[in-house]
Amino acid sequence: MTVTATTPAGPARTGTAAAGVADTNQHYDLDPEIFGLFLDPRRKYSSGLYRSEGLTLEDAQLAKLRFVADRLGLRGGERTLDVGCGWGSVVLYLAGELGCRAVGISPAGRQHAYIAARAAELGVAELVETRQGHFETLDVEPASFDAVSLLGSIVHMPDLDLVFRRARAALRRNGRLYVSESCFRNAAAHTEFDRRGGTEFVRDSIFGWGDMRPLSELVRAAEDAGFSIISVDDLTEDYRRTIEDWLVNVADRADRLDAITPGLAATLTRYLQVANAGWGFTTKHYALVCQKSR
Amino acid sequence: MSTTAEPVLVTVTQIVATELATTADAIDPDLDLRTVAGADSVKVLRMIARIERAYDIELDDEDVFTVTTVREVTDVVERALAEGAAA
Repeated sequence: MTVTATTPAGPARTGTAAAGVADTNQHYDLDPEIFGLFLDPRRKYSSGLYRSEGLTLEDAQLAKLRFVADRLGLRGGERTLDVGCGWGSVVLYLAGELGCRAVGISPAGRQHAYIAARAAELGVAELVETRQGHFETLDVEPASFDAVSLLGSIVHMPDLDLVFRRARAALRRNGRLYVSESCFRNAAAHTEFDRRGGTEFVRDSIFGWGDMRPLSELVRAAEDAGFSIISVDDLTEDYRRTIEDWLVNVADRADRLDAITPGLAATLTRYLQVANAGWGFTTKHYALVCQKSR
Repeated sequence: MSTTAEPVLVTVTQIVATELATTADAIDPDLDLRTVAGADSVKVLRMIARIERAYDIELDDEDVFTVTTVREVTDVVERALAEGAAA
């Protein structure tokens, strides 16, 4: 097998601009039960943070949510926007733990009812709002958010400059943007491996479109949008550990996954193994934090 | 917010005059600042920084690097203040 990698929380369209972009990655609109079988209880479909000994997947995802809130400088009660909110782990955490007024955006239709139900169960329905659509085209109130986050979602967005400009427009002065994404480790890897077998497998069989741009491209887009760069963290090893834990869950629950879709456990296993093979060789996972300030 | 209740044009004119080591009544609101003797890009940026501090605002880069007169500076400051009030 070609040693290449892409990432579960964000792969897949080849680099031709928006032409033929699927309205949403069908992967994310699969039966929510599938994700419940191999993700942590929060269904957080992105890297955890394994910086202590003996952490479970659930522990690591909670640690990661705390990390995101810390990097965003959140203390409680802020207004936040999570772009590509998935199953709501970020908005539900920020509302439940910090009392934030948390807005989530996702193009995937099935996620919204799930998040609303979870918000009601957690007693934070009045703090949580989700909107269905694409961040690139949805109307977002200008200068009205204290923090904007994109965890593994910018990879699905063809116009990087537009995304950073819109994120900055949504932020109040001194507000922060958190972007974590899987990135080819340099431009050469991006060019060479983007057309190889492992990546193609993910692109063609699981996702609609994704482009794992090198970190330098994300930084350039952030700078060009007018952001100041606050920090960069390398989360590559954390994502590798996360996917190892997902693989264990897929193996443990293969029968139940295959009962939903025949062959699903094998497909997911292959996909996750491909993703994990390339960390450090072809791909990295970074968290970039920017601020709307001089 | 500005510590003064003066019109923005008055405050901006005073800051510009101070930076150019002249008096407010010597500043024509429609004069192209780039043509003023002793004015250079560094001084213009210092003016902008002082104005931003005075009003606790942050002007957009495209405005900072395109305004040429005191009146234009005043306009972008008033717009930023209005946006801040609306947010």
